[in-house]
Amino acid sequence: MSGVKLTNVRKSFGGHDVIRDVSLEVPKGDFGVFVGPSGCGKSTLLRMIAGLEETSGGKIEIGGRNVTAVEPAQRGVAMVFQSYALYPHLSVAENMGFSLRLSRAPRAEREEKVREAARILQLTDHLDKKPSALSGGQRQRVAIGRAIVREPDVFLFDEPLSNLDAELRVQMRLELTRLHRQIGATMIYVTHDQVEAMTLADDIFVLKGGHVMQSGRPLSLYDDPDNRFVAGFIGSPAMNFVDAVVSDSDDSGFTARAEEGELRVALQGPKPGAGTQLVLGVRPEHLEPLETGGLPVKVEVAEELGGNSYVHSRSASGKDIVFERRGNRESLEGRDLQLSAPADKVFAFTPEGERLR
Amino acid sequence: MAMIHNRSRHRLTAYSLILPFVAIFALVFGYPVIEVIRMSFTDAPLIGEGEWVGWDNYKRLFSDRLFYTSVINNGYFVLLTVVPTTVIALMISLAVNRLSGRMQALALVFFFTPYVLPVSVVTQIWAWMLDFQFGILQPVLEFFTGKPVPVFKNPFWVMPAVALVTIWWTNGFNVLLFIAGLRNIPEELYEAAKLDGATRRQLFFRVTWPLLWPVTALVLTLQLILQLKIFDQVYLLSEGGPFNSSYVLLLMVYREAFQLNNGGYAAAVSLVLFLLIVVISVLQFQLLRVGGKDK
Repeated sequence: MSGVKLTNVRKSFGGHDVIRDVSLEVPKGDFGVFVGPSGCGKSTLLRMIAGLEETSGGKIEIGGRNVTAVEPAQRGVAMVFQSYALYPHLSVAENMGFSLRLSRAPRAEREEKVREAARILQLTDHLDKKPSALSGGQRQRVAIGRAIVREPDVFLFDEPLSNLDAELRVQMRLELTRLHRQIGATMIYVTHDQVEAMTLADDIFVLKGGHVMQSGRPLSLYDDPDNRFVAGFIGSPAMNFVDAVVSDSDDSGFTARAEEGELRVALQGPKPGAGTQLVLGVRPEHLEPLETGGLPVKVEVAEELGGNSYVHSRSASGKDIVFERRGNRESLEGRDLQLSAPADKVFAFTPEGERLR
Repeated sequence: MAMIHNRSRHRLTAYSLILPFVAIFALVFGYPVIEVIRMSFTDAPLIGEGEWVGWDNYKRLFSDRLFYTSVINNGYFVLLTVVPTTVIALMISLAVNRLSGRMQALALVFFFTPYVLPVSVVTQIWAWMLDFQFGILQPVLEFFTGKPVPVFKNPFWVMPAVALVTIWWTNGFNVLLFIAGLRNIPEELYEAAKLDGATRRQLFFRVTWPLLWPVTALVLTLQLILQLKIFDQVYLLSEGGPFNSSYVLLLMVYREAFQLNNGGYAAAVSLVLFLLIVVISVLQFQLLRVGGKDK
């Protein structure tokens, strides 16, 4: 088993660049997730690793072997498609054993491997059925089983859960994590759902417009985003952003005026001078209603989830500001509040979206 | 009560909706069929009533050498057209399917154009092309046989030549059916198979062919029915000759009914042909379905 390494990989379709200079590495045995909005190139990048799309430039290595120009079947990868791509005319067992059938592996070996994969995925009772007789979740498992039987170095998943309903998605997410622990192979997973990315990944690669915006452990991306895009994309509900002007700075950070209120921002690096235009970002769970100071808002609605609630409020300029409350049952609807956050939980970005540290 | 009332009204609506079709169908299909069956037991001329003769027409038919010649020629023609046209259409559609958008449309237009032509134009084109003296295809024949061949006047060449014309004429439609079938196969199945290590050959025989089988069975059955009904091309190109070597059942019906004025006898021949087509096509379709299920 081996890791996947991309070096300066590019892809263009008829003069239009889809992937621009991507370099990244998914270490051996890790679970890497490509996440980003639709059209960011994440699926294309996965298909390039699989060999289903040609690479316009750069190098793709799997287990230290340069596979940029190698046929898909010789790359040691298996892929699970969003649509499952099961052969409708073959039974579950035949679908899973298809690759061994093609390579004319002995029948006994084929049956043994299919049985083992079916056991892992709890499909033993369905081996003789046709895919059309299975539920969505079962089809998904067959598709994964087909990948397992091939014993690949790298598993590739292209939005495998997006055709399932919400409950099943959560369940399959857990099963995938368990499967990864059990098999220990390198896995690369593409999704547009940042919750899936956060829960599954060892390493997240946030893509936008064919670039890797930031990569790292899920929590480090959450706690320490490099730019406004990653800050807004990772986390649900999303981070609140307000335009601000620096009013005063000192050794530990600066104070900025925003939305007819004031926020204190901790900053280690060079401090912006007074009058600098910035964008401040605060996650919902870090905002707290105070008596004085902070941003003045008017509460509109609250989403009560039982343990916690997300309160939607409107700022002076009409922006939707969301903050989280825990264990507090008292209704805030229609009230005017002041919201503030600890200085080290407020992120500052340039108007172009770069983070100030 | 309301339920029952509703149901009877429901039924009334249903009947009133299918009635126009049933009436027209009975008039233009049901009635003629019954008349043909009745006529086949009489010695009626083409127009007018005849005497009831019982099974005489059928007895005469089964001792008529021309009838057996026609059945054999029909069978030979089916052999020459049905499977070849299906195979050719499949190969053309596989090739066309690899072209991209605009080129694919253009290629389809080329292959479909002959199908648009009326049969008289088609036979005229080929009569010219294969003309004994001036035909531009004669040098090709000469290359293979050493001398020019009057194809429609030669017992050996006439059926293959008519078959060739027929395939050229009708192939475009089969290509369209296959293209539609191929487009129904999701691209991801091929991608998955490629990742599984399938060669081009395996892609075709393990993915394309089994998934295209229903379309293939349909094309084979439609072709069988169509080619058993061969008449126009033979009538226009060779008139059944030479020496009855291209005489087919429908030509026999035509001769007996419209040239020899034997309405009763022609009715018997056409009924036999009708039964032949029904039995063979039902049999074939069932066989193909069973064959498809095993795959």
